[in-house]
Amino acid sequence: MAKSEITNHIRRLRFDNGEMTQQQLADKAGVTRQTIIAIEAGKYAPSLPLAFKIARTFGLHIEDVFQYEDESA
Amino acid sequence: MNREQKIALLMIIAISAGVVAGCVVFGILYFIVGIPGSLAGFAFIGIGGLGGLGSLIFKKDKGKITFDERDKLIKEKAKLAGFTASFLFAGLGCMIPFFILGPKASISVIWLPNIWCGTFLTAFFVHSVAIMVQYGRTGKGEKS
Repeated sequence: MAKSEITNHIRRLRFDNGEMTQQQLADKAGVTRQTIIAIEAGKYAPSLPLAFKIARTFGLHIEDVFQYEDESA
Repeated sequence: MNREQKIALLMIIAISAGVVAGCVVFGILYFIVGIPGSLAGFAFIGIGGLGGLGSLIFKKDKGKITFDERDKLIKEKAKLAGFTASFLFAGLGCMIPFFILGPKASISVIWLPNIWCGTFLTAFFVHSVAIMVQYGRTGKGEKS
């Protein structure tokens, strides 16, 4: 089974967007702060709808926030 | 630490305390009154039932959103882990005596509620451990 990983720039984007807190992002995306922490740390891969919500919160496309790294590619 | 984690932690502590207390009292009674009287010591495992009070003790988390897709996924996986562990416990509880004693042996029905109790505790204990493990230490994530 090929190793794959989803990385993201959420942390940097939060700071670029007026130092948005994790709680503020969580409220806008409709999730708990714990989930934002887990996503930022790469411990949880969000569902597609949540990934879209987070990207739209920053006014970006999903691929500008999340990157899929497939080592087999 | 959210409400689910608090409930799970209380469950782990209560069941652990109950099992330890039950085994200790059984051990003490074993040397005083022997079997079967010492089996009454296992009644202390009932302390584990206090873990069920968690949902009454811990109030709902503050904030607009207290439950999301990740919480749902964690709960589903924990349920599966608890069910799998309890299934294994019940299976082993039935099959080990069969293989040790043989097909023509008979055992007291007193073991049936014990197996049921053990299965019950295993399900809740593994469910709670699975919740704690999956949440990990993200509850103490860095402040933003």
